[in-house]
Amino acid sequence: MTATTEEELRLLAAKAGLGALPAAYQGELLSAYRHLEVMLARIAQDRPHGDEPAHVFNAATFARQG
Amino acid sequence: MTEFLSLAEAARRIERRDLSPVELLDACLARIDAVDARLGSFVTLTRERALAEARAAEAAIMAGRYRGPLHGIPYNLKDIFETRGIRTTAQSKLLADNIPAADCDAQEKLSAAGGVLLGKAATWEFAHGGPSWDVLFPPCRNPWDLDKDPAGSSSGSGASIAAGLVLGSMGSDTGGSIRGPAAANGVAGLKPTYGRVSRRGVLPNCFTHDHAGPLAWTVEDVAILMNLVAGFDPRDPGSVELPVPDYTAALTGEVKGLTIGVPYRWIEEEVPASAPTRAALDAALDTFRALGATLRLVELPPLHRYEDAKKIIAMAELYAIHGPDLRKRPELFGASLRYRIIAGGLIRAEDYIQAMRLRTELARAMQAVFAEVDLIMLPSGEPAKTLQPQPPESLFTRIGYTTAFNVGGNPALSLCMGFNEEGMPFSLQIAGRLFDEATVLRAGDAYERVTPWRDRRPALVG
Repeated sequence: MTATTEEELRLLAAKAGLGALPAAYQGELLSAYRHLEVMLARIAQDRPHGDEPAHVFNAATFARQG
Repeated sequence: MTEFLSLAEAARRIERRDLSPVELLDACLARIDAVDARLGSFVTLTRERALAEARAAEAAIMAGRYRGPLHGIPYNLKDIFETRGIRTTAQSKLLADNIPAADCDAQEKLSAAGGVLLGKAATWEFAHGGPSWDVLFPPCRNPWDLDKDPAGSSSGSGASIAAGLVLGSMGSDTGGSIRGPAAANGVAGLKPTYGRVSRRGVLPNCFTHDHAGPLAWTVEDVAILMNLVAGFDPRDPGSVELPVPDYTAALTGEVKGLTIGVPYRWIEEEVPASAPTRAALDAALDTFRALGATLRLVELPPLHRYEDAKKIIAMAELYAIHGPDLRKRPELFGASLRYRIIAGGLIRAEDYIQAMRLRTELARAMQAVFAEVDLIMLPSGEPAKTLQPQPPESLFTRIGYTTAFNVGGNPALSLCMGFNEEGMPFSLQIAGRLFDEATVLRAGDAYERVTPWRDRRPALVG
C-alpha cells in the first residue's frame, strides 16, 4: 500500500474541518495518521456482500423507550 | 474502627448493627485525609453529602428499615459517571464546570440501595488519554507504591479501593479500563457483558465497546454491586433485556467440572508474558486444577486483529464525539487524548464499516471457543510499572490481553493472583460466555477463598 502523501493528508484534514488547526496540532495529526494507516491497511476490504457490521440497533429497545 | 473491611463484611456488620454507617464513613474519611493528597484517587470529595447520607442510613437501619448490602456503604464513581448537582469533569478542562442535571443509571440504583456517595474518582481524560499531566487534575498514583502507575482509565476507582478509602466503585471499560486498574491496584473489577449494565449517563469513550462495571476489594463485593446495577435500561440503546441472576447466590466456592481454556499462543508467542507473571498464572491454574476444573488449550484469532478493529472503531467514534471541540478549541485537550483521536477525522466511512464487519467476525470466533469451554483464563497484564508519560504513539503500537473481550462483548474479571518481588500485584483475568457473569464470578470467588491475597493491604495505609 502506498503511504498517503502529506498533500493528500492536508486535503483529508480540510475535509474533516481540521484545515485551520494550528501548525503544532497539524504535526500531531500527520504523525497519528501514519500509525492509523498501518492499521487501516490490515483491515480486509473484500468481504462477502452479506457480511453485516456489528452496529447496535435493537428495534425492541427503541420501541420500549417510547 | 481502623481495620479494613470488605464491602460484604461491612454490610454484614451493619445489618447486625455491630457497625454504624457513620463510624464506617468516618474511618474512610480519616484514611482519605491521611493519604489522598499524595494518592490523588478522588477529584471531588462529597464529604458533607456523604455524612448526611450516612446519618440517614444509620437512622433508617436503627428504625428497622435496612435496605440491603449497600445500605450505609461508602462508594465512589469514576468521574465520567454523571451525578446530579456534583461536578462531572472527565478529568478534562473542557468539562471543568460541568454540573449534570441528572444522575446516571448507576448512581440512581446505588443511591436507591442506600449507598453513601463519597465522591468522584480520578480517571484519564474522557476515559481514554493518559496518564496526563496537562489535564484538569494530575494523574492518580498507585497505593502499593506511589511511584507506580495505577493504570487507567478507572485509576481512582482501583486505587481508592485498594487503599480502603471506599468499599466499592463504578468504572468503565472500553479496552481494559476496569480490568487494568483492578490489576494494577490488586483489587477485583468486572467488565460485564455488553448490554448487561446500563451506560446511561456515562460520558462516552467509544459507544461500540463501552461497558460500565464495578470494582471492589473482593469478587464477592463485585457480585453484590452487580446485583444492584445489572439489568435492562430502555434508555440505553445497547441494553439487553434478559433475566439477571442473583450473583451472590452463584458464589458456591465450587469450580469442579468447569472447563478452562488458556490461549497459550497469545501469552507465549504474540505478547509473551514475563517469567514472573507466567509463574503466577501457572500457580493460579494449578489451583483451579486442584479444585476440580479441567484445563485445555484454546486457539483464538491474533490479539492484533482485535486491537485493529477496536482502535479504528474507537478513533472514528471518538472523533464524532470530540470533533467539534477539536476544531474550535484543541488547546483544551490534553496532548495524549488529542493525539489519540485527532486522526479519527480522516477515517473513511468504508474503513469504519469494514472494521465493524471485522468485529463481527472476531466476536463470532470468540463465541465459538466458548462453545467448548466455560471460561478463558490468562493474565490481565503485567504488574504496575513506574508512573510516567507514555509515548503518544503507544496507543497504536500497544497490544494487551484485555481488548479482545471488549470486541467479543464477553464478561471478563480481573482479580489479584499474588505479588511480585517489588510487592506489586499480579492479576488473573477470567472471561466467560456472554451474559454468564455468574460463572466468571463463581470461579473468581472460589480462587479468592483458597488463596491468601486478600490478607494484604498497601503499606501506605498501614
